[in-house]
Amino acid sequence: MKKLVVIGAGMASGRVLEHLFESAPDAYEVTLFNAENRGNYNRIMLSPVLSGEKSYEEIVTHDEAWYAANKVTCRFGEHVVGIDRARKVVIGQNGEVPFDKLLIATGSAPFIIPVQGKDLPGVVSYRDLDDTEAMIEAAGTRDAKAVVIGGGLLGLEAAAGLRLRGMDVTVLHLMGHLMERQLDEAAGYLLKRDLEKRGIRVITRASTAAILGEERVEGVLLEDSTGLKADLVVMAVGIRPEARLATDAGLETGRAIVVDAQMVTSDPDILAVGECVEFDGNLFGLVAPLYDQAKVAAATLLGEPSAFVMRETATKLKVTGCDLFSAGDFAEKDGREDIVYRDPGRGIYKRLVLEGEKLVGAVMYGDTADGGWFHGLIKDQTDISEMRETLIFGPAYQGGAALDPMAAVAALPADAEICGCNGVCKGRIVEAIEGGAHSLDDVRAVTKASGSCGTCTGLVEQVLAVTLGDAFELPTAKPVCGCTDLTHEDVRRLIKAQELKSQPAVWQELGWKTPNGCHVCRPAVNFYLLADWPLEYQDDPQSRFVNERNHANIQKDGTYSVMPRMWGGMTNPEELIAIAEAAKKYGATVKVTGGQRIDLLGVKKEDLPAIWADLNGAGMVSGHAYSKGLRTVKTCVGSDWCRFGTQDSTGLGIKLEKRLWGSWTPHKVKLAVSGCPRNCAEATCKDVGVVCVDSGYQVGVGGAAGMDVKETERLVDVATEEEAIEWTVAFVQLYRENAKYLDRPYKWIAKVGLDWVKEVLSDPAERAALVGRFDISQSVYQKDPWAERARPEAARRFLPLADLTLEAAE
Amino acid sequence: MDQAVGADVRPFIQVSEVWVPEGDRLVLAGGCYGGLDAFEASSRHESFAKGEGLPGKAWDEARPVVLKGFEGSYFKRTEAASAAGLTSAVAIPVFAGAKLKAVLVVLCGDDANRTGAIEVWQEKDGLLMLDDGYYGAAKHFEWVSQHTHFPRGQGLPGGVWASETPMLMRDLGSGYRFIRSESAGRAGLTTGLGLPVPAPLKGTYVLTLLSARGTPIARRFEIWDARDAKVGKENEAVLIDGICARDGKLWDEDNTRRVAAWQGVIGRVLGTGVPVVESGSPGLTAGYDSVVAFPIHRGGELAHVVAWYI
Ligand SMILES: Cc1cc2nc3c(=O)[nH]c(=O)nc-3n(C[C@H](O)[C@H](O)[C@H](O)COP(=O)(O)OP(=O)(O)OC[C@H]3O[C@@H](n4cnc5c(N)ncnc54)[C@H](O)[C@@H]3O)c2cc1C
Ligand code: HEM
Ligand code: SF4
Repeated sequence: MKKLVVIGAGMASGRVLEHLFESAPDAYEVTLFNAENRGNYNRIMLSPVLSGEKSYEEIVTHDEAWYAANKVTCRFGEHVVGIDRARKVVIGQNGEVPFDKLLIATGSAPFIIPVQGKDLPGVVSYRDLDDTEAMIEAAGTRDAKAVVIGGGLLGLEAAAGLRLRGMDVTVLHLMGHLMERQLDEAAGYLLKRDLEKRGIRVITRASTAAILGEERVEGVLLEDSTGLKADLVVMAVGIRPEARLATDAGLETGRAIVVDAQMVTSDPDILAVGECVEFDGNLFGLVAPLYDQAKVAAATLLGEPSAFVMRETATKLKVTGCDLFSAGDFAEKDGREDIVYRDPGRGIYKRLVLEGEKLVGAVMYGDTADGGWFHGLIKDQTDISEMRETLIFGPAYQGGAALDPMAAVAALPADAEICGCNGVCKGRIVEAIEGGAHSLDDVRAVTKASGSCGTCTGLVEQVLAVTLGDAFELPTAKPVCGCTDLTHEDVRRLIKAQELKSQPAVWQELGWKTPNGCHVCRPAVNFYLLADWPLEYQDDPQSRFVNERNHANIQKDGTYSVMPRMWGGMTNPEELIAIAEAAKKYGATVKVTGGQRIDLLGVKKEDLPAIWADLNGAGMVSGHAYSKGLRTVKTCVGSDWCRFGTQDSTGLGIKLEKRLWGSWTPHKVKLAVSGCPRNCAEATCKDVGVVCVDSGYQVGVGGAAGMDVKETERLVDVATEEEAIEWTVAFVQLYRENAKYLDRPYKWIAKVGLDWVKEVLSDPAERAALVGRFDISQSVYQKDPWAERARPEAARRFLPLADLTLEAAE
Repeated sequence: MDQAVGADVRPFIQVSEVWVPEGDRLVLAGGCYGGLDAFEASSRHESFAKGEGLPGKAWDEARPVVLKGFEGSYFKRTEAASAAGLTSAVAIPVFAGAKLKAVLVVLCGDDANRTGAIEVWQEKDGLLMLDDGYYGAAKHFEWVSQHTHFPRGQGLPGGVWASETPMLMRDLGSGYRFIRSESAGRAGLTTGLGLPVPAPLKGTYVLTLLSARGTPIARRFEIWDARDAKVGKENEAVLIDGICARDGKLWDEDNTRRVAAWQGVIGRVLGTGVPVVESGSPGLTAGYDSVVAFPIHRGGELAHVVAWYI
């Protein structure tokens, strides 16, 4: 009998031996080495062992009786330390074994990030039963805390298991969403929500700086200097193929042991299978392809023809109650098309990625029943053009449940607030409808819902439709865009009612029909989120128009304009000299604008950071002439200089501009302050225009002087400057919180009615609350974009494209 | 697996019965009385209005009810139960949405000699607290449980609560949340089945059955997943977990067992949405004397079936 030595009793080699003994029980006399002190077991089921949902006995795949029956000499708990190819022997810790054929199946080793403290007791990786038992042991201490580094498959299974065992668990993930290699952002959002429901804390974009502790691990420090207490740290950031024996023996290796399609290494008598191999440039991390390799290796050992081919693998997560499935490639690329299905009520998200007539990727969360079928279509590259329309509903499509435009409203819990003005929640409205209120007017009369500003009208109508079915005819309202059937007003209201604080949350909970919005809805949703949750939400530059992204106006010829702020239209010789010098240096054309400031036109993109730095140096900040935000506050010379002047109009204009600059608004906002009714600053055609009179200040709102010309309407007359500022700020904040994106104030006022605006603002408490919220927002957003972007690292974004590719390659 | 199971096991639960609504009363649809014929006979003549007796109370309050000691209580069959040595009972209503499908009643007795636990956990202020439970002789474990609470995701009750999925825990003696595990180990409790009990009125309930080696609640447990999200539109279910004192593990990742509606005992539950108690035909009950197969509905639809055999 020929001698076969196998190094590693893992998932792959176990299958090789099964196939071998099945086809030719007497072909080889086998010696099986394993570094672990046990035989083959189902490694992937370690996670349910960790959680307590399986026992180790259940996951053993080959027991003593099996090895005995197949006459396998077991050398468990013994490392192989070398291979002598010349003498054809394997060198174990306890002695040598000769071979005719050798199979290397050493798997891989956990990757340990090289941070301080990585070797402290209490820091474990997650690969084998010993690691699992160490974790179970650590979970036995009352109130013990675990930090899991890595939000991939392994890390999350470890986190869920430790949580079930009673630990306080935090997951740190470097990327923006969990399992980013297998899931898109939308599915990552649902997974995070599911894990948080289990009491697991998830921190994304978390970079580990050090593991802390003296005798043993005590905590983890993040780059942003967050500190976390920890009694156990699990490192699950990735794996490294275990190829050292092969390298030392002089076999050909790349990132792992190189094998051909017969699983033979560069030595014809040595085969390799599993995670330790590299085939055609590919590495392996899931068992499905390893089982294929095992079949091929067994055939090769028996001299039968067979060849390994790569195939698409699918991913699942073994956390009870988390149903996810992912297969193929779902990166966004030109020529690809998405089909998306969402059911907010059931937490379902499905996305198919098509390229031409083929399905190339599938991600699903919450409903994975058709995962296998989609996986098959991807693997077989089936032409799906015939079933394109119904593909997302799976093989059992029977008339298919069409995407329900009202799913988002139907899914709302009873305590979700529909009418923000009068504090009316969905449950109350449903009660009223069930009590006989069958029209919008009836509901309004009974509950007051939609009786004030009216922005929730669309939602109240949808609640009517959901409750009454086809007995209620829904008026057609204009949706935001093709991604949703909801209107802007609906979206705004629902973001508040459901406390949606991220874009993925909006896409999922409101049932978006695209994976992550389009150029129409993204800027709007980005604005709504930053306006409603200034502290929690992070502004997304990718969801902004190009001018806002570059913080400059692109001109007809592709150059940019640069406009520094001149507070209230006031400047001084130093500023003017700096502007003049900058204009000369960068070859800019100089224009005095209608907004009482100076525009430098014709600046090249790559010069932007430098000219910003120069103007910054002279004490000037961006004029935001490109933004949906505060533009200018135009003033007249006022009581300081003008014999008609009643108040210090310039001073008030400067104060207003200093208070309001940097804030993002639904559309641009222009202000003016005139010192007397002669109105030299043209305050009566601005979004907010203050006209000073002897008795104080007349605050007007909703003016316009564009395609539409409109005079302002009087909001209030106040006696003091403080009050004028308070009312103005409160008005701007109400506009920010309430208006549809891209509605100028006059359009918004026409919708909600000036009376409602007056009613809200005339309540001192309400006014103070609005001002308070505005100030919180300004604490985040009142930053000079020039100062941030003039820094060298950020400045590189503005270099011509050739250098951008360089950056990507680095 | 525990191979050394004697033939003379003394089951923790002695009687299991299913009551279903007929008109405005609950009538007996099936039961396994373990030879307590007189009690069976008296039950066959019984029916309950809403709020009446133990099954009627579970219906009325729309939540699981534990009753320890029948004497002087609202329990209607006290005399027959005492004669049969039964001392405690748990009634679990099965609701599909707001609609009552059935009430499962299990009865136990012989408190001093049998160990096990049937527990009802209820959410209070964001934590699961023990609402009530029957423990037989496991007095220390009962005391510990009364003084334990489970946050979301922790331990068997917390895990079931957070995942809205039935779970089967092995080896409760190790790491089953600190003191509970130590005491569970001493009481000989090994396997735990936890299931969410939907309550249409209000509240969150989790039922756990903790089985001890000598006086098991069951010797075979199965969890079937019947959700559309898992099996598609067909009225079918796949076995997602299970263990058996005789056959060892019942789950197989590569080769999942699947049944359709009306196929066998599980299929009957899929077809009717009502619990099934079956005994006297070992061919139907995996070679055991009896089985209880119990449906769990979610959002008005059948989501899971759990089954315990003894
Ligand atoms: C917790 C966990 C969960 C997982 N879940 C999934 C999943 O859900 N789905 C999936 O597809 N994959 C999963 N995986 C990955 C899967 O387990 C691996 O892809 C698979 O085990 C690799 O098989 P292998 O035979 O190449 O290596 P292994 O199974 O790792 O076996 C290699 C063996 O070789 C031994 N060895 C190494 N060096 C030596 C030496 N010098 N001398 C002697 N012996 C040596 C090791 O001790 C080990 O026992 C999971 C992995 C883990 C750890
Ligand atoms: C992309 C298109 C536009 C560009 C690039 C542009 C550019 C400018 C600039 C640079 C100024 C000087 C403002 C300042 O000093 O801050 C200005 C002023 C002005 N713009 Fe525009 N604008 C555009 C669209 C519009 C539109 C659509 C309207 C009408 C709704 C409009 C109405 C005005 C008015 C009335 C002023 C004078 C402001 C004042 O005197 O206070 N502009 N514009
Ligand atoms: S608005 Fe009145 S105060 Fe201001 S400059 Fe004109 S006339 Fe003078």
